[in-house]
Amino acid sequence: MSSNLPVLLFLVPFVMGVSMPLLTAKRRSWCPNITLGTFGVMLLLSIANLRVVLAQGSIEYAFGGWAAPIGIAWLNDSIAAIVVLIMSLVAVITQIYGRLDIAKDLEKSIPYYTLILIMVSGLVGVIFAADLFNVFVFLEVVALTGYALVGAAGGKGLVYAFRYLLLGSFGASLYLLGLGHLYVATGTLNMEDLAVRLPELMTSTAVAGGLIYIFLGLSIKMALIPLHSWLPDAYANAPSSVTPLLASTVTKVSLVAWIRIEYSIIAPGVEVSHVPVVVLLEELGVIAALIGGALALIQTNLKRMFAYGGISHIGLILIGVSLGNTTGFAGGMFYLINDAVMQASLFMIAGTLIYYHGVHTLEDLRGVGRQSPWLTGALVVAAVAMVGLPPTGGFFGKWNIILGALEAQHYLAAFTVVASTLLTLAYFLKIFSCWFHQPQHATSEPLVVSNALRFSLGAISFSMIALGLMSDTIFQFLIESITTGGV
Amino acid sequence: MFELLETLIQRPNFVVFVILFLWGIYIMSAHPNLVKKLIGLYIVQTSVIFFLVAFSAKDGATVPIILADSGLVDPMLYANPLPHALTVTAIVVQIATLGVSLALVSAIYRKFGSLDEDEILEQLK
Repeated sequence: MSSNLPVLLFLVPFVMGVSMPLLTAKRRSWCPNITLGTFGVMLLLSIANLRVVLAQGSIEYAFGGWAAPIGIAWLNDSIAAIVVLIMSLVAVITQIYGRLDIAKDLEKSIPYYTLILIMVSGLVGVIFAADLFNVFVFLEVVALTGYALVGAAGGKGLVYAFRYLLLGSFGASLYLLGLGHLYVATGTLNMEDLAVRLPELMTSTAVAGGLIYIFLGLSIKMALIPLHSWLPDAYANAPSSVTPLLASTVTKVSLVAWIRIEYSIIAPGVEVSHVPVVVLLEELGVIAALIGGALALIQTNLKRMFAYGGISHIGLILIGVSLGNTTGFAGGMFYLINDAVMQASLFMIAGTLIYYHGVHTLEDLRGVGRQSPWLTGALVVAAVAMVGLPPTGGFFGKWNIILGALEAQHYLAAFTVVASTLLTLAYFLKIFSCWFHQPQHATSEPLVVSNALRFSLGAISFSMIALGLMSDTIFQFLIESITTGGV
Repeated sequence: MFELLETLIQRPNFVVFVILFLWGIYIMSAHPNLVKKLIGLYIVQTSVIFFLVAFSAKDGATVPIILADSGLVDPMLYANPLPHALTVTAIVVQIATLGVSLALVSAIYRKFGSLDEDEILEQLK
């Protein structure tokens, strides 16, 4: 039973998603509850899975009993266990929130909930897959449902969903092309097997080309600058009820897929004309972190500002995992987990602002702070986490990335983390200066918000602080995976 | 130069792949019409599938089905089944993408009354 947990984690949302039309054909009001229940079951299963991994270390799951190089394998290691846990947690919280904020025509729409469930099952697949082609298939499941969800609100969202589709599918084609190159060169697609066969082939242009195509394809999906252009518009126009889930999972999971490939295939010593490959990746992260932060600073639309904040964090995570030492890796992975929670929180706040106050831009924000103490609290916690102050998780992630950069003597990377922190601080100061501004007209009574909204905002803020308090344990746990994973 | 030409002539499949791939990218980025952009995307995806098929082609190979009484088999006689399995799956993904994208295009047409990107962007302002 315990060894089947990864597959159960995938099957629960998938089966529920497919059978949603059967279950709710006559009782449409059940849809949100069934979705929430499924995510709840996933949360319990992922906690159980984490316990199993804690007790037994990483486990390889062979489908149909065929072991890795011949059959298809899933890898259930500490990275997968903890990312799945955080993802299920975010899914539960955003679903509780999504029930309040949902548009009237989506409220009882069976396809909408089916899409959410199938997207989550695809995310689980990407996280566990230890086979390049499996990663491709699950990434496409996530992407296709993502395109449909971005366009679910209709209107402007449709055009941006179409743009997302063009770029995303092109990225998937590049990934498939790279995968083909690697298969031609090695005759295998299993990551562990590739890690054995590739090092001696690293001089081959087919392998180098394949890895570049894979990276390009994945960087479109993870919105790495300069391939980010689909993301801000898509998330700003997607339905508010599902944006937190999209923003916190889709790009992060593509990055997890890349981290797996990077750590199982590219050895730290591999060089391209005397420059180690990981240093090139780190420089790309530097560019993304700085430009993303600067672009966030000049936005006036709140959702777009938060989206650019997320884009700059992708850069930070890439810096952390490409430093080539365990400190940086643990910092980067930990920051990835934190970023999932922070993005969910920010987009929940932005969605609530639109729902209760009709606020879309910074200008509209004036005086909102006096009406909504709960929102103010959640925003303050989210801001503290985004800027990276203790005791939130954001601080410990950034701290370890800086330590890793100093250890590797990459001072530009360390400087970038500090600079992007300052940029984050700058755009949150812009928000707060409007937030606590004297309202233009007489203040109304404090708004009555529902308990469910209070619960979801409280839970997400609490998890940011809890991640910070447990950071040491999580670091130890994450480092285990790369020492056993063969770097 | 001559050697390069010779390598290209010996590998017509890959030359076709490169032409199709670049052609698809050109159509995707240059045409304002959304359906033509989709056609460009479809050509890119098909070219990648063509690439997968091209490298797995083998002259005179038989289907990789082993009978109970065939005993030891010589792998050189059989086509490698894995690239074909990949191709079939990739085609399924491609068809699903096409379905979603056509649904989006028809929704855009109903909403904006046009398929021209410039006209739609004009209306979005």
